Amino acid sequence: MTDHNPSDNHSSKKTTHFGFQEVPVTEKAGRVADVFHSVAAKYDIMNDLMSGGIHRLWKRFTIEISGVRAGHKVLDIAGGTGDLSYKFSQLVGPEGLVVLADINESMLKVGRDKLTDKGVCGNLVVTQADAQYLPFPDNTFDCITIAFGLRNVTDKDIALQSMLRVLKPGGRLLILEFSKPRSEVLNKVYDTYSFRILPMMGKLITNDSESYSYLAESIRMHPNQDTLKSMMDAAGFVNTTYHNMTGGIVALHKGIKP
Amino acid sequence: MLDPTLLTAASATLEAIINKALQYDPATLNTLEKHLGKSLKVEITELNFSLCFHFGRQIMVTNYCEEPTIELRGSIPALISLAMSDSTNLAKSGVTASGNTAFLAEIKSIARRMEIDWEDAINQWLGDVAGHQLAGGLRRQFDWLNDRRVNGERLLQEFLTEELRATPSQPELETFSSTVDQLYLKTDRLSARIQQLDATLRPSPQATDKE
Repeated sequence: MTDHNPSDNHSSKKTTHFGFQEVPVTEKAGRVADVFHSVAAKYDIMNDLMSGGIHRLWKRFTIEISGVRAGHKVLDIAGGTGDLSYKFSQLVGPEGLVVLADINESMLKVGRDKLTDKGVCGNLVVTQADAQYLPFPDNTFDCITIAFGLRNVTDKDIALQSMLRVLKPGGRLLILEFSKPRSEVLNKVYDTYSFRILPMMGKLITNDSESYSYLAESIRMHPNQDTLKSMMDAAGFVNTTYHNMTGGIVALHKGIKP
Repeated sequence: MLDPTLLTAASATLEAIINKALQYDPATLNTLEKHLGKSLKVEITELNFSLCFHFGRQIMVTNYCEEPTIELRGSIPALISLAMSDSTNLAKSGVTASGNTAFLAEIKSIARRMEIDWEDAINQWLGDVAGHQLAGGLRRQFDWLNDRRVNGERLLQEFLTEELRATPSQPELETFSSTVDQLYLKTDRLSARIQQLDATLRPSPQATDKE
């Protein structure tokens, strides 16, 4: 179900998936952008409600695994409302740098305002960037994170290669993303929750059930743990591993640039 | 292995408790800030589980850490015993350490000097007057319980030594220990004298050759 879709392999392919629909490659970015323009204002509150606050633990675990220290340069791709960037900005200190990048302007605005309100400045840069064509020089970052963003990228392979290029040798990429639950029982419960309860919550809180249906569908279409690991290997990362969290509902993949 | 979500929840809870408590001890917070960037890793051998404490203006608790300043490894009782004792000597403690052991001594010294103003914490909730009354009541209860504990320990000790004669008293033990020490020294001296006498009485090999 979550196997890597061959139509997603290269941008020369004519179609890719948008949830369960097949759409022209050129259309996907625009349609994903519409979803996030729609949910940006209530993104944080919906995250808390949908995950019961557990997304904070998943992100915290990502920060633990990142090994980010004072003076490091960190790129937070699809950083959205800046949860990871906020913590990273504290860890890298005044001599380090955090780049909060997102392709979606609305999400970036929410993130930038939130971080400004929290007093984050000096070591944080906000930039609108496409994960597939990162506008940074080679070998720039000590760590790159992409949390709940990779599944929305049109061509994941190009994005992985782009991330590899801008990482310093020895730097690490962390991909936090929904994945496939390990237990069949959990899988069934999760399906019911995703396809019935999530869109209902979306309708009640943001008056937008379609965006949350897309969320559930895009999770199902995202590569499972082992497929994503092999994609990272193919892109050129080494020592790739993953940690299943909450029974595999979410997985954190880690890869090192050789 | 436990799900990372649970481990992260546990470390986040512990971190929140520690930092909340430290808010009421600004002196300790200032001291800890001097150790910015240092970390202590504690590995519990039975559970194959580790916790890392990263020091700074706040303490950060994580399950993973790279290159800690000091790493302690041992069983739960051994680690608790080390935490409770005033000594920083790890010999025969069941805890192994690697890294900068001087940092461990500093952390233990900070922990000993720590004074959390829990009355201030109560006052935040109840206001100064009610908070002070409650804190006074709790303090009196605590003192009473502490007195009972000290008295209880003394009475039990007296009962065991004086009534049951199950254990020796402190002076008896000290006298016995001193007698054993004396005996040990006297035996040493006697052994040395015997060796000396033996050497005197035994004919030297040169004298035997001449004959």
